Amino acid sequence: MTSGLACRDLSVHVAGRALVHAVTLDVPAGRTLAVLGPNGAGKSTLLRAVGLLGPHRSTGEVLLDGGPVTRPQMRRAVAAVLQRPILRRGTVAANAASGLRFRGVDRRAARERALPWLDALGIAHLADRDARTLSGGEAQRLSIARALAVGSRVLLLDEPFSGLDAATRGDLLADLRAALDRHGAATVLVTHDRHEALALAQDTALLVDGRLRHHGPTRFVLEEPRDADTARLLGFTNLLPPSLTGRPDTLAARPEHCRLLSALADPGGDVVTVEGVLRRSVDLGAATRLDVDTPSGPLVCLDRDPPDTVTLGARVVVAVEQHRSLPGTPLPLPSRTTLS
Amino acid sequence: MDVLLDGLGEAVRLLVTGDQDTWAITALTLRVSLTATAVALLLGLPLGLAVALGRFPGRRVLLAAANTGMGLPPVVVGLFVTVLLWRSGPLGGLGLLYTPTAMVVAQAGIATPVVVALVAVAVQQVDPEFRVQMQGLGASRLRSLLALLGEARLPLLAAAMAAFGAVVSEVGAAQMVGGNLAGETRVLTTAAVLATSRGQFALAIAFGLVLLVIAFAVNLVLTLVQQGRVDAR
Repeated sequence: MTSGLACRDLSVHVAGRALVHAVTLDVPAGRTLAVLGPNGAGKSTLLRAVGLLGPHRSTGEVLLDGGPVTRPQMRRAVAAVLQRPILRRGTVAANAASGLRFRGVDRRAARERALPWLDALGIAHLADRDARTLSGGEAQRLSIARALAVGSRVLLLDEPFSGLDAATRGDLLADLRAALDRHGAATVLVTHDRHEALALAQDTALLVDGRLRHHGPTRFVLEEPRDADTARLLGFTNLLPPSLTGRPDTLAARPEHCRLLSALADPGGDVVTVEGVLRRSVDLGAATRLDVDTPSGPLVCLDRDPPDTVTLGARVVVAVEQHRSLPGTPLPLPSRTTLS
Repeated sequence: MDVLLDGLGEAVRLLVTGDQDTWAITALTLRVSLTATAVALLLGLPLGLAVALGRFPGRRVLLAAANTGMGLPPVVVGLFVTVLLWRSGPLGGLGLLYTPTAMVVAQAGIATPVVVALVAVAVQQVDPEFRVQMQGLGASRLRSLLALLGEARLPLLAAAMAAFGAVVSEVGAAQMVGGNLAGETRVLTTAAVLATSRGQFALAIAFGLVLLVIAFAVNLVLTLVQQGRVDAR
């Protein structure tokens, strides 16, 4: 019997529409699984279905420690952080203790067990404040501390960093990682940000249109796009069809791996080159964003060291230094690629 | 002016000397109105919750009906209850007409829609994900519902105040189903109406004052409960 959370052929239908399609996942205890997907992919729906939370009916199986699980059993096992921090009236400390209180821990003991988590998330000094006076970032921290304080076997995190500024986010990412390492729960993290997946999760599953597209160790999954959707999701926003590159497969490349070649430079033997017309050049400080129109659509380069003499409207050659093949993928209609 | 001043003086005298009739009428008023409010809360709370949180056909129609019912004329309710309890009516055999019980029934009928409508609003203004989040922290369905009620306790107590205010001050239904029988079903509002019609303004003012004091006292208690925890922080 494996300890942890799992689901088999889990599907969720709402009003006749399938939001999640036959998803099978395993999250062993002590590990974190990131469910990565674009907006509207069904990530939150999947998370709730796995936690047996919310009103939607699902089909398939949810397993806890290898066996089927009832709603009451799951409720005792789970602690969840939803996208928006939903706090109760009362002090920060009382909120942090509320998960333990629901589990029958008495008031004083619950408070004592919750306080270290307020400290771990950097809000111990707010313990006696009214929870309604917290800023967005503080409320999010409290929501996470409240879930971690439970010490549950299953932890469900739904975009825990949404709506936070970059500095808070960076701090919180580090705090959360440290907390997860101490915690030992089977954790599911829903996110649309691959950097969060990389920082927090050993395993990653890619969810697009309610279907699992790829699943495996995070480092591997993030570097192996399977098709156009997952390529965009993983930051391989440049899709180069065979007609453009002369290669047998469509290639996917990150903007930061594309750079302009100066006229005389030799790209070297194996580097793929693409010709096009420079449409726009924007200095972003650390790098320059160059938009190049190719015969099969726009291409974006993030060049740290662009040639000095580039003129808009000129013909240029782009070297694609790293790329992935997307075998057998018909390229969708050319669309404006966006910088992720 | 004399009438008013005399009235006030007489009213104070009646209250201070502890006139037995006045106290009996006051006690009955409190008993009937508080019981009716309690019944309305018992019926209205689950109904309001169902209307606010449930998903069943006719939910919105029910809510609209409750909203309309907030402005239900007491005379209409009194008429219905009278017809129901009339000797030859469907429930005539119970012999309840012109008893305090009949007044409780009528007043509960007036207050229940108020409670349903205000409970629905109170509950719906809490985050719709609130119960999911509470269950996501280990709360059972019942526990998450209780947490939701706790979250909405300020507007819920306001609903109780509105219900009590509606019944303690109404006169139409109390008159029709109670009959204003001295010593049996005479309450402050009907007594005040009678005294006024007889030209006993002092007595009428005394009843009016007591009514105000009662309404204030009950609402003071509820307000202290409502605001107590707010100030405690």
